Parts: sequence; C-alpha cells; structure tokens
Amino acid sequence: MSIKTMINKKSIITLIPKLILVVLLLIIINTQMTESVVLGTLEKGLVFSFLALGIFITFRILDIPDLSVDGTFTLGVAVSVMNAYNGHPIRGIILAVIAGAVAGCVTGLLVTKLRVQPILAGIITMTALYSINLKIMSRPNISLWKKDTLFTYFEGIFGENSKVIVAGGVLLVVSLLLFVFLKTQLGMSLRATGDNEFMVRASSINSDTMKILGFALANALVSLSGAMYAQYSSAGDTNSGTGMLVVGLASIIIGEIFFRKHSILFGILAAIIGATAYRYILAYAMGLGMDSNYTKLFSALIVAIAIAIPVVKGLSIDLYKRYILKNKGGASRC
Amino acid sequence: MLRLEDVSVTFNANTVNERKALKNINLKLDNGDFVTVIGSNGSGKSTLMNAVCGSCNIDSGQIFIGDRNITYVKEYRRARYIGRLFQDPLKGTAPNMTIEENLGLAYSRGKKRSLAIGISSRDLRLFREKLAELEIGLEDRMKTPVGLLSGGQRQALTLLMATIVTPKLLLLDEHTAALDPVTADKVMSITEKIVKENKITTLMITHNVSNALEYGNKTLVLSQGNILAYIEGDERANMSLSKIMKLYADSSGDTLTDKMIF
Repeated sequence: MSIKTMINKKSIITLIPKLILVVLLLIIINTQMTESVVLGTLEKGLVFSFLALGIFITFRILDIPDLSVDGTFTLGVAVSVMNAYNGHPIRGIILAVIAGAVAGCVTGLLVTKLRVQPILAGIITMTALYSINLKIMSRPNISLWKKDTLFTYFEGIFGENSKVIVAGGVLLVVSLLLFVFLKTQLGMSLRATGDNEFMVRASSINSDTMKILGFALANALVSLSGAMYAQYSSAGDTNSGTGMLVVGLASIIIGEIFFRKHSILFGILAAIIGATAYRYILAYAMGLGMDSNYTKLFSALIVAIAIAIPVVKGLSIDLYKRYILKNKGGASRC
Repeated sequence: MLRLEDVSVTFNANTVNERKALKNINLKLDNGDFVTVIGSNGSGKSTLMNAVCGSCNIDSGQIFIGDRNITYVKEYRRARYIGRLFQDPLKGTAPNMTIEENLGLAYSRGKKRSLAIGISSRDLRLFREKLAELEIGLEDRMKTPVGLLSGGQRQALTLLMATIVTPKLLLLDEHTAALDPVTADKVMSITEKIVKENKITTLMITHNVSNALEYGNKTLVLSQGNILAYIEGDERANMSLSKIMKLYADSSGDTLTDKMIF
C-alpha cells in the first residue's frame, strides 16, 4: 500500500466523528430549538469561550491542570457584579481581568517558588478565593436587575443581536491578541515551557517566570469569562464557578474533535468552537427534558468518556484478538 | 575559559547512601580547547557537566567562566554562556513546536524575551542557511514539528540550536550514545565542524575511547570522582587505546567496561 492511500484512508477515518458531530449539531439546531434558544445558546457559547481559552493555556500549552479556575471564575463574577451594581460595568470587567491575573500569579508562585504540586496549588487558591469572593460580594448572590451592563450599553445600537455582537467582538479581539502573543518571543518561550522544560532552561529562559505568566494569563481569561457571564446574565452568585474546570475541559475536548492539528491557530479555534458546541449539546439535552441539576454530571461524563476512549479502544482490540485466537484453537491453549 | 577550583559534589550527604561524586576537582580549560572526558559509569563525568551548567549544586569550591564566578548563578542564567547537548535526543528540543520555532527560541538565547515577533524573515533566511550546512535536508522542512524527526536529526538540530548564538562553552554529554553508529559518526563530524569553525571551548563526555582520542586536543580521564589523568600535547599524540586501558587498570582497581571498547 502506498503512503498516499494510507494518508487518505486515515484522514477519512478521522473525518467521520467530525461529520457525525456536525450533522448532529445541525439537526439539533434545526429541529429542536426556537430561534431565541439558538441565539441565547450562541451568546452563552461565546461568553464561555474565554473560559475555554484560559483552560487551553494551562491544560494544553503549559500541560498543567489548574484547579484555581473554579475560584477565579467566581472572582470575575464577583468583581464584575459589584462594579456593575455600583454603575461601572466596564471598569468591573477590566478589574476582573486584573484580579484574575493576580490570582493566577498566586497559583504560579505556589507551584514554582514553593514547589507545591500543581493540583494542590490550584485547590489552595480556589479555597482561598471562596472567602475572598464572599467578602467582595458580601452576600451569596446579587441581581443586576435594571442596572446598566456592558450589554445594555449596546442594545440601542445593535438591537436584538447586541449580546452576540458584543461578546463576539470582545472574543475576536482577545483571541487575536492571544494568537499574536503566542507567536512572539515571550509566547514561544511560554509554549516551549510546557513542551520541554529541560530545553527551555538550557536556552536561558526562566521556566518559573514563564509558568507564572501562563497561570496569570489563563486565570485572567477565566476571570474575564466570569465577568462577562455575570453581566450577560445580570446576576452574580458565589457558587457560579463550581465545576468550571471540567466545563472548560469538556469544551476543549469537543473542539479538538474538529481540529486535531497541534497548532496555535487550531488550538484557539478548537477552544471557541468547542465551548459553543458544548452549549448547544447542553441546550439540546435540556430541551429533551434533562434536569438542569444534571449539567455538571453531564460535563463530567463528557470529559471522563473522552479520556477513556483510547483505553477502551485498546481493550476491545485485545479482546477481539483473544477471541480470534480462541476460535482458531491452538495458540491460546499452550 | 572554564576554571574549576576544588569542586566537590556529594549525593545523599550524611546518610548510609552517601556518595562522593566529585572529590576536590581542579580543572582548567583554555580558550578554544576541545576536551574529551572518559571514565566508567559512576566516575563523575555527568556530575562534572551538571556542576558546570548548574543543574546540580556543589558542596564546595568555585566555578569560573572567563573572569566571571558562576558558582551561585542560576542554571537558566548560566545558559546564556553555555550551550548544552544531552544523551537523550528528546531532551534538547520542544517536540510540538516546529523546527523554525525551536531555532527561533535558541536564537534569542541571552537576550531578554520581549513581545517582539518570534521569528523575522531575516531570521528565517539565516536558519535556512544554517540548516543547509548540516546537509541532512532539514532546510526544506522548517514547518515540521520537531517530534516527527529522527533521533539523529533531532540531535543535529539541537547541536545547531546550542551553537547558533556562539556560546562561550559547549557541553556535550554523550550526545551520540543513543544514535546508531552511522548517524553517530555523522553527528560527530558535524560537531567537529561547528566547534572548529566557531572556535568554541568544548567539554565532551564520551563512552567511546577511540572517539575520545580522535577528537579534540585534550583528554580528561575520570575515576571515582577523581581526575586520573589530563592528557594533552605529545603525551596525547602517543596515547593509544591500550595505554589508556593500562592507565585505568593501574589505578584504584577500576576497570574499563566492555561498553567502552568499540
């Protein structure tokens, strides 16, 4: 068999799950949802794309699972809601990004300077943030009913689609900046740190600084996601960050069904498309009558199944081989 | 260029497993020296390298590069003057990044990493030229992730990365040991060419005694953390494989392993 035909076969096989997913999504969107649900889901998908981008940085680029995400998402919600409540929605979003970056630095310092295991460092920051978030909001939940938000500012200009346009616009700018940043010397050093730390230190790059930078950037994005979500939904809740890491992971895993290639552009696209697709799948499941209490269970299942697929595949091939050997007789008996 | 004064390294100090890896080593490399290092397993070759590049701390003594005392300088800062190659071809390159990105990272060695664009078109031309000099066809695959290259190709690329900004000192830790004999020869000849052209002071560990005498201008023989011999000039020119073996046999009963005789 020539190399060319092998490549073709392989690419067709990898295309199948993509095609199935696309067809499913289209069916879902066409048959099950009213126009307003389609639009609302897209809005949510865009808002949660920031979360997926943040987790893309820690999980895929730095190759470290960062659990502080659950805390920093709520931190973004809290900072954004309090400022919007007091009439400064845009300042709220900017401050949320800064607060997220600071929280990320804390995790980064714990991991690099104090040599705390990454997972534990994330849990420490997340737990600490729980108190800080309560302190910032001073009560478990706040409504922005009849208050100005980033989205209401543009309602007069764009009308019905304003939320999609605002969220999409910010997302476009942020992802472009992220893409360009990852191509700079600093960004390349960051990517190399997750890829081969040995090589990075041998190339006179301070890998500790790079990790702290990565954590800061990731948590700034997650906090931005929380800030946007709070103003989008006109409400803030101190529990809104629970399970966000798994939601982000599920988004990335779904996105990577579409883009397998390991490049920065495809990674960013995968995060955004995955986050949006995740929301549509969720909306479909809810449309079928899924209890909304099960959403976290749902995202946990997606992540667990996606990670288990290669193992299950290997296992089934093993079983198949054993079955064939057994039926042929001989070999398996001696 | 490189000077070690009374350098000692002990692993697991004050335990039953205490092991003195280097014992009061004094060593001096002049500008442009190409020193080969031999010794059996556990003789302290790799520890010597690690002490110089800063990935292991020393108990006592001092290390200088030129006039600069680098004893307490952090590993990543020393990397500004020191180029390094490991035995494992996977260690020297970032597998998920392309050849040009790896070279771009290496090319900014010693400079502050800024928000400047990673690789300019002028850099690309330079990388292409340098890759073509290796004569292994990498210049047409600059967008290929390094993870797809063979061990020999990766090692040759790492060599180029370590020397693209001429380092003051080049450390080679058995960098051909994981390659097949033909590729190893190829990488060795590329090494010699680059070192000669740029007159880089080099310290090379090898398990291959004939290589140790063939390349470079000085040979350092280590045994159990001590310097057994530092051979140069006429003495080195008259040195043969059997004489080195004898030198070894005469010393503290440490014998060369079979692995070293090929």
